[in-house]
Order: sequence, then structure tokens, then C-alpha cells
Amino acid sequence: MAMFTSVLVANRGEIAVRVVKALRRLGVRSVAVYSDADADALHVRLADEAVRIGPAAARESYLSVDRVVQAALDTGAQAVHPGYGFLAENTEFARACEKAGLVFIGPPAEAIEAMGDKIRAKLTVRAAGVPVVPGRTEPGMSDDDLVDAAGEIGFPVLLKPSAGGGGKGMRLVKAEGELRDAIESARREARGSFGDDTLLIERFISNPRHIEIQVLADAHGNVVHLGERECSLQRRHQKIIEEAPSPLLTAEVRAEMGAAAVEAARSVGYEGAGTVEFIVDGAAGDWFFMEMNTRLQVEHPVTELVTGVDLVEWQLRVASGEVLDVPVGLTGHAVEARVYAEDPTRGFLPTGGTVLLLREPDDVRVDSALHEGLVVGSDYDPMLAKVIAHGATREEALRRLHSALGRMVVLGVTTNIPFLRALLSDVDVRAGALDTGLVERKLDGLVAAERPVEVVAAAALAKRLELGGDEPWDQPTGWRIGEHAWATWRIDGVDVRVRGDEVVVGDGEPLSLKAFWRGGELVVGARRYAVARAGNVLWLGADGHAWALPETERTYGAAAAAGAGGPVTSPMPGTVLVVRVAEGDVVTAGQALFVVEAMKMEHTVTAPVDGVLTEVNVQAGQQVALEETLAVVATHQE
Amino acid sequence: MDAPVLRSTADKSGDAFRRHSEEHAELVAELRGKLAVAALGGPEKARQRHVDRGKLLPRERVDTLLDPGSPFLELSPLAADGLYGGDAPAAGVITGVGRVSGREVVVVANDATVKGGTYYPMTVKKHLRAQEVALHNNLPCVYLVDSGGAFLPRQDEVFPDREHFGRIFFNQATMSARGIPQIAAVLGSCTAGGAYVPAMSDEAVIVRGQGTIFLGGPPLVKAATGEVVTAEELGGGELHSRTSGVTDHLAEDDAHALAIVRSIVSTFGPRSPRPWTREPSVEPVVDPAELYGVVPTDSRTPYDVREVIARVVDGSRFQEFKKEYGATLVTGFARIHGHPVGIVANNGILFGESAVKGAHFIQLCDQRNVPLVFLQNISGFMVGREYEAGGIAKHGAKMVTAVACARVPKFTVVIGGSFGAGNYSMCGRAYSPRFLWMWPNARISVMGGEQAASVLATVRRDQLGDEWSAEDEEAFKAPIRRQYEEQGNPYYSTARLWDDGVIDPRDTRTVLGLALSAAANAPVEPVSYGVFRM
Repeated sequence: MAMFTSVLVANRGEIAVRVVKALRRLGVRSVAVYSDADADALHVRLADEAVRIGPAAARESYLSVDRVVQAALDTGAQAVHPGYGFLAENTEFARACEKAGLVFIGPPAEAIEAMGDKIRAKLTVRAAGVPVVPGRTEPGMSDDDLVDAAGEIGFPVLLKPSAGGGGKGMRLVKAEGELRDAIESARREARGSFGDDTLLIERFISNPRHIEIQVLADAHGNVVHLGERECSLQRRHQKIIEEAPSPLLTAEVRAEMGAAAVEAARSVGYEGAGTVEFIVDGAAGDWFFMEMNTRLQVEHPVTELVTGVDLVEWQLRVASGEVLDVPVGLTGHAVEARVYAEDPTRGFLPTGGTVLLLREPDDVRVDSALHEGLVVGSDYDPMLAKVIAHGATREEALRRLHSALGRMVVLGVTTNIPFLRALLSDVDVRAGALDTGLVERKLDGLVAAERPVEVVAAAALAKRLELGGDEPWDQPTGWRIGEHAWATWRIDGVDVRVRGDEVVVGDGEPLSLKAFWRGGELVVGARRYAVARAGNVLWLGADGHAWALPETERTYGAAAAAGAGGPVTSPMPGTVLVVRVAEGDVVTAGQALFVVEAMKMEHTVTAPVDGVLTEVNVQAGQQVALEETLAVVATHQE
Repeated sequence: MDAPVLRSTADKSGDAFRRHSEEHAELVAELRGKLAVAALGGPEKARQRHVDRGKLLPRERVDTLLDPGSPFLELSPLAADGLYGGDAPAAGVITGVGRVSGREVVVVANDATVKGGTYYPMTVKKHLRAQEVALHNNLPCVYLVDSGGAFLPRQDEVFPDREHFGRIFFNQATMSARGIPQIAAVLGSCTAGGAYVPAMSDEAVIVRGQGTIFLGGPPLVKAATGEVVTAEELGGGELHSRTSGVTDHLAEDDAHALAIVRSIVSTFGPRSPRPWTREPSVEPVVDPAELYGVVPTDSRTPYDVREVIARVVDGSRFQEFKKEYGATLVTGFARIHGHPVGIVANNGILFGESAVKGAHFIQLCDQRNVPLVFLQNISGFMVGREYEAGGIAKHGAKMVTAVACARVPKFTVVIGGSFGAGNYSMCGRAYSPRFLWMWPNARISVMGGEQAASVLATVRRDQLGDEWSAEDEEAFKAPIRRQYEEQGNPYYSTARLWDDGVIDPRDTRTVLGLALSAAANAPVEPVSYGVFRM
């Protein structure tokens, strides 16, 4: 069978872009699909053909089996690449493709099914000789049964109430001597909490690390592994930074785990690219099968960079019937960081907005769907791009990635780039001493909420430069016949006074700063800032940071600070879900006025003071920008 | 403008240059010192009490009202300097032109720290002058009111005459009639006559619990009717915003009131189109910083006024008119911050030819809609039989007629002497230039002190004959010279509002640029001249 001539990419975002580019390299015609929210998206722009498949809601577009299949049939595509997420592990979709005469670029539906059921998957791979986390889950075990089981499993062990949840009644037991006491107290607590003292027992994985093996299988029974990726840097099961190879594994362990992964794949008759996830005890070095992902992984580029194998290309080759022929050596080290539209300083709240200015580093790999003008909304996953650096050593790869992220500029949408850079600089991360709890444990030190005073000063200086016309009245010099006056702007709630080269931020010490434009960038002292403006919000970018600096009318703010009410603004860009009030309503401080939804999170906007709503500017369903005025409260009834 | 570029011929390494620089620097330092003292306003105790009440100081009010960083072309900041025993710095009122919501407006802000913001004679004069600037240049007026009304001990100098207190409200009514917006923010007292400032305004703001408006305050009410009432009950923000309707907007504090004024101004719409076209501004190629060195501080020392022109006009470009004729008056076209200007500058005493040339050039500018800038340094017209016979009086009259009747905006900077009829032909205060400023080295009087002393001594000698000794004559002349020196001083002048302020020579270009732009708010009347005596 020859390579396809036309392939539909059933996805969006960076992965759709990635697949379209691979198709182009192979000379295959690409067909993109898009929802109304993505009509102007990069994957749509890049593909040879693009088909609208529905409204923004994913279940009516990217998750709609019928519409995707129909789009493939309408455009004469021979195969469908599902990317990751959406329909990638959907057996119904895989079968629908088959039924429609389309090649689903992924494993057979049966393999997806076998691995989709986590319990069945463990039984299957255990039968094939792959280690799983040891434990005993039989009902009604006596104390003696539990002691017996512990002996088989090996310490440390974890006792869990069968009926439990939320950690209640769980006991970590490190040695046999403590076991019977622990069983007694665990049962007592379980009985008290759940009315059922049944306990389960399993091996406790101290210092757990997430390490996964990339496998590739063809239709002719060949299965290879392409080494591992370590994805231990996670927060709430969201991977943040991934690397290949793992700093933990020796060549021997890699070979053992690789062989196990190949066996796991074989056990379900796997074809295409897949990933076998293991949990590794960082202290003891034991490793156990967790699950298999029957698709291309987000973090596949690190494997590509150390192996030189283009996984998407091989997915296509294998799907078209080619025999596997890939090199299996590893060269150097690769690290990937995921750029998300989220604000680490505000509890990783999803952000959004319009990309006003974009600079992507050109000396590392960037898999991205970003473009200037892109509206990042709340319809889909908040991942915007992946930045992947390769180096001869791990240290070099980390350094390159840190540097590249420092040169990445995304203005208009707050991202986690500063957090990524802080994480890459962490001493344990540098040392390779990773575990899945590291990020949560060190979070406070990684999230710098402080906005440097120089940045606020730079925003005021930018404002002054923007204002300067060539007429004396246009120049905000504060010119006077005598001593010149300070020009004062309220930037992000702080009064910034500027006169000549002097800048005073709030009550701070005067700074002496010269500012000018150079090549579209704002130069303040020795620092350079990328600059973009959206209405009253000035965005400054430097060292991977992107600061949104709203300017407010200072005189208005003074009155509001005095308890006189004022504008009620949207805390984030999003959609107004609920409007609970109308103009003229009497409101009390703290009363909920609006609900604004962004990234599936609902934010309640409340009245700042007692008063009357003199203005209500929005209605339900309306899109609002960050700091957009939703209503105005006046403190006294007229 | 492709006019020739002026080059400086000054010897910048010479002693004279250095000496002039030092002398000007000293004069400017004195000016800055005086401005800094006057800018403080009233005594420290009064300022503290003002701030303790939660009020902004008047200069803070102006700065907060204006667009961030807006220039403020303040008028006569040294008004009343040396008058009233020094009790009224800046005459207790801050006036000037500044930008609010993108529009140039005239601001009049009472300084309640100066005798409760009451009106001295010079306060009235300064307020009226600000209104005149608004009228001539078609600029909206913003009054930041905080005043107890007329200064009662001097009621005879502030109340009854044509150019006294009542004229303020006459001006408000007539300007409003011409479509020049009148806006008041009541930030403190508005007592008696002062009550009419907000009442006569198109739109008025008042601060709750702080601004008061009443014709008679609580003491007067008690005396008149026995009624006991608090100031707030009698004329506070709540009363006037809810009940009387004297004010239209109720603010919480100064800053809030000023924000409301800013939004009111933003409803005025764009300024009127300029009556002339403006080109991009170009800095002079000859360094304006050298003005100190090239201009002698003693107006009797001759120098080439082109050294000044070169440091004031765009690109130092100057299209000179009739260069070879009547050479004691330099005339020509240039641009200042992009605005076209016709420059009339003295380069010596005025002869018949220079006067006729001046009249001709002024008419040219008027015909072409080009504003006039007078650089005044004139000791007067040439005297003597030959010149009288040559008709210098009628030639001078032609120039005075032209200056008086020209309807393009005129701007006068006294850069040296301003003596006698030279003052008239070079657009002195009586000829209603839109603005008139003095350099710190300037002198103004009907004639020079030495000449006045000599003239008076000659008359005296004619009466006394030979009995008058040289010592006696000197004793006679010295006080006359002293009087002329004192009264001819720019601070004597500016204290009495004979000018709009004493400026640092290096600010001349900026000041003219601001003023030209402000003047461009008003349309230009049709050309019309009186009879020129030929």
C-alpha cells in the first residue's frame, strides 16, 4: 500500500499544525477541520483545505464523529489523523472510520478498548509479564490476610479503606512491626467514618516518578520502543515539563522497561505510536505499569529530538502499511515546556484574550498554534504552545530552554512562561531530583507575584512616549514657567509620577530612567520590553514575563477609594453568563452582580460598596475583556 | 519652509559671551526663586489647615485637572509681587492655559490659602485678564472656586468700577453667549458675589461637605434675620444639588470634582480648525541655550537681533523682508513649532523708513493670515529737526495704525528695552497682543531713567539758571533714575499685570509655541485698517 494522497486532521491547535506540517513534508494533501471559534486558526490557514464542522462547542464539532467522518468523505481524504485528545482514543470513532472506508491513523479499535479499561489493561499486561503495582484487593480480608499480603507486596505498604475516599483512614506502614497496630487503627477509623472496616493493601510508592516509554508498532508484527520520557513535573495531573531521556534511568533499566512496554503493546495487538506509562519509585528504583495511552502524546517531541525519528511521519507510514525501520539510538537530551494560558500568580486561573504581539524563539523547536490576532477563548484546552530544546547534555538542554522561554513574547494573553522559567531554574530540577509532588511542594517559591516597580515605571514612560506629538501641547512634559510639574498616571492602581528622567512609583524612591523606542521595543535603562496596547491596557514583555498594566483615570480612582463606588470591572476576559441586576438597582457591598465565565471557570463579580447602579453595560452572553467596565456603582441614592 | 538658515556670528568663546551668560543665569535664578516662593501660596499654617480639611492645594488641583503631563501656560505667576505687604502671592489666584481632555482651556483657580482666596485689586485684574485670554482665543473657561469674595478692606478698588468684580460675571455671560463654555467646580467657599461664579456657569460641580455657595454667610444671616444656620445647611453641596439646582453635579472630593470637570470638557467636541496650516515642528539649528550668551543684559548695548531669531524659529530658517531697507527693524517670515509667523524685531532705534517697513510687513502678514511676533527692544523713535521734518510722526503713526488694526494674533516678547512710542509701534500691552511676556533683563518705561532725569534736569536748569551746581543736579537726577529703575523693572511690571509673565529667555520658543497653538482656537476677523497718513 502506498502513502496516502490526502489526510484529514481531526484536531485543532498546535497538534493540528504539527500534523499538517508533517503531511506537507511527505507531499500529502492536508485537510483541516474547524469550529466557528477556529475559523481563522493557524491550522486552518496552513492546511490545503479546511472544512467547517460546527459551532465552538467541542461536542458539536471536534467531538462529533459523524461530522468529522463526513468531512473526510466530502473532501476525498483517505485517512484521518486524530492528534491527541478529542476523538484520538474513541473506539466508536475508530470503528466509524473503518466503516466509512477511511484509515484511522492509530491502533485498532480493539487495542484502544483493551487499554481504555484500566483494570482490564493491568490484568492483560500482568499476564504478559509486565510488573504492576503490587497489592491485594480481595473483599473481606482478615488481619492475618493483610499481614500475609504485606509480606508478599513488600514494605512500605499503604492500607486503604475499601469504602473510603479523600485519604480518610489511610495508613502508611513502613515496617512489619507497625503493621498490626496500623490495621487496628485503620479499621477503627474506617468503621467510624464509613460504617465498613474492609481494608485493601498495596505497595506505597515513595518519591513517585512518572516515566513513560514510547513505542511504535507496524501492521507486520514489529514493535520497537524509542526510549523513555520523564514527566514527573506536574501539577494536579497536568504535565508541565517533560524530558528525554529520564535522568533517573540507567541503560539496563531502560532496556528492561522498554522490553516490558513492547510486551504490553504486543499483548493487545498494538499498531502505530503509543505510550506505556510507568510509575517509578524514585528511592527504590522499582517500576510498575500504570496505563497505556493509545495515541500520540503531547510530549512526543522530546523523543523525536533525541531519536531523530519523526513520530507523526511514522504514524502515517505505518498506517499506510510500511514496515518499521527506525534507528533506536539516543542522542543528547531534550526538554519540553508547555505554555499554557493560565496565571500562576492567581492560582493558575485560566486566562484568555487576544494575542497582540508574538515572538517565538527561532533557535529551538516551537510547536505552536499561536499567531497575532488569535483570540484565546474558553472553549478548548488552555495549552498554547510547546517549546522544546535539545542539548548535548541535560544541563545544556535545560539552559537552552530557559533562555528560549526568556525570549518568547506573548502579549495580550497571560501565560505561565515565568513559572516555567522558575521551575527550570529550581535546584532539584537542575539536579534531576524529580518527583510528581515537587511542583506542588515548591509552588510558593516558583510563583513570583511581585510585579517589579521598574515595570510599572516603564509603563508610565511608555505612556509618555506614546503621547508625545511634535506640538508643545502634545508633549507630556509638565512644562511650567517655573518648576515643571509631574505627569501622573495611575498604572495598575498605583500613581506613577514622571518628570524628565525621574520616575516615582507610588511612595517609592525616585528612579532615574531614560526611555526611548528602539526597533519597536521600549528601552528603559538597560532593559528592553516588547510592547503592545489594547485600549487602556498596556502589555510589557521581558524575560518571558508579560505584564498587563491597565491605566485608570486617577481622579476617578481617588473618589472610588474614598468609598464613592465607581466602575465594576471584569476580573478576566470571558463571557458574561449571568446578569443579576439592572440599571438603577440598589445594591449592597459584596452583592453578586454578574457571573463571568472563562475557561470553564465561573467568576462572580460583586458590588464594591453599597450604592446604586448608575450604569449596566453588559448583557448575558456578551464577550468582555479584562478590566472591561461591566457596571458603575454610585454610593448615594439619587 | 525653504527660507535661508540663519547662522550665528557670535563669538562663543569671548568674554562678552561668558559675561552675558553669567548675568542671564543670575537673572533667571532670581526669577526661579521668586516663582518658587509665589508657587507656595499662603502661609504654611493656612496651607496645612487647607490640606487637613482633605482639600488639594490649588496647584495640585490644576495639575489634577489637566491631562497628565500637560503644559500649563501660566499667566502672571508673580502678580502682586511686592504689593499688599507681600500678603497675596500670585494675587491669590492661579490662571493660565492648559489641556483638559485634549482641549486647551483657561483655568482660574482661587488659592484659599491666601487670605481665604479673597479678591485684591490685582486678583480681580488677573481673573479678568484670564477671561480676556479666553475670549480672544476662544478657549473654554474652568473656574476652580474657593474664595470668600471681595477683599473687604479694599472694596473701593475691587467693587465699583468697570474693570472690577462685576466684570467677571459680565464676561461669563457674554462669553457663554458666544459659545465659549463656562464651567465651575465649587471646591470651597463661594460667598456673596462669588456665588455668581457657579451660578453664571453653564455647568457647575460642587463637593459634598466642602463646597458652599451663598449670597450671605451664616454670620451675615444671623445679623440680618437672626436665623442660626450652618454653612452646609445654608449652601452645601446637598442643598444645591438636590434642592436649589444651583449646581449640576455632586462630587465626593476634589479629585472626583475635577474628574467630573474633565468629563464635562470631553463633551465639548473638537477645537475649531486652525485659521492657518501648521507644519511639523523643527528644532532650531542654532542652539537656543546660547541665548544667554548672545544677548547683552543691558539694553543699551547693541547686538544683532537675528542672533535671537535664529534661536527661536524652526530650523533657524528666516525669510527676511526688506533686509536692506530700514535696517533698524528686522522683519521676515518664519515658523515656530510649525506655526507660520511674521517676526518684527528691533535692531536699533526706529527711523521713518523702519516704521514704514514695519507697517508694510504687518499688512503683509495680516493679508496672508500669518500671526505676528514682536521681539521688542526699543528705546524709541529718532528725534531731531531733520526727522520731524521728514515726517517721523506720521511714519510712526502708520506703524502704530498697522499694529493696532492687524487682526491676526499678535505676540509680544520684551527682550530688552520698551520705551516710549517704540512700545506702541512694537505692540505694547495697549495694542492687545494675545500674550505679552518679558525677559528678566527687560525694562519698561515711558523713557529710559537717564533720559528722564536729563529731561527733567534740563527743564529745572532753565528755571534755575547758573545757580545749579553739578552736585545739586546729580542729587536731583539720582532719585529720578532710581524711580525709573524701580518702576521699569520687569517684576514691577508683572506685579501689576502689565504683562503675562516674566520668562526664562530659553523658554521663549516653547512659550510662543504654546501660545500660537492656543491662539489658533479663535477664527481671524476680516482685514480692515484705519486711515494711514501718507
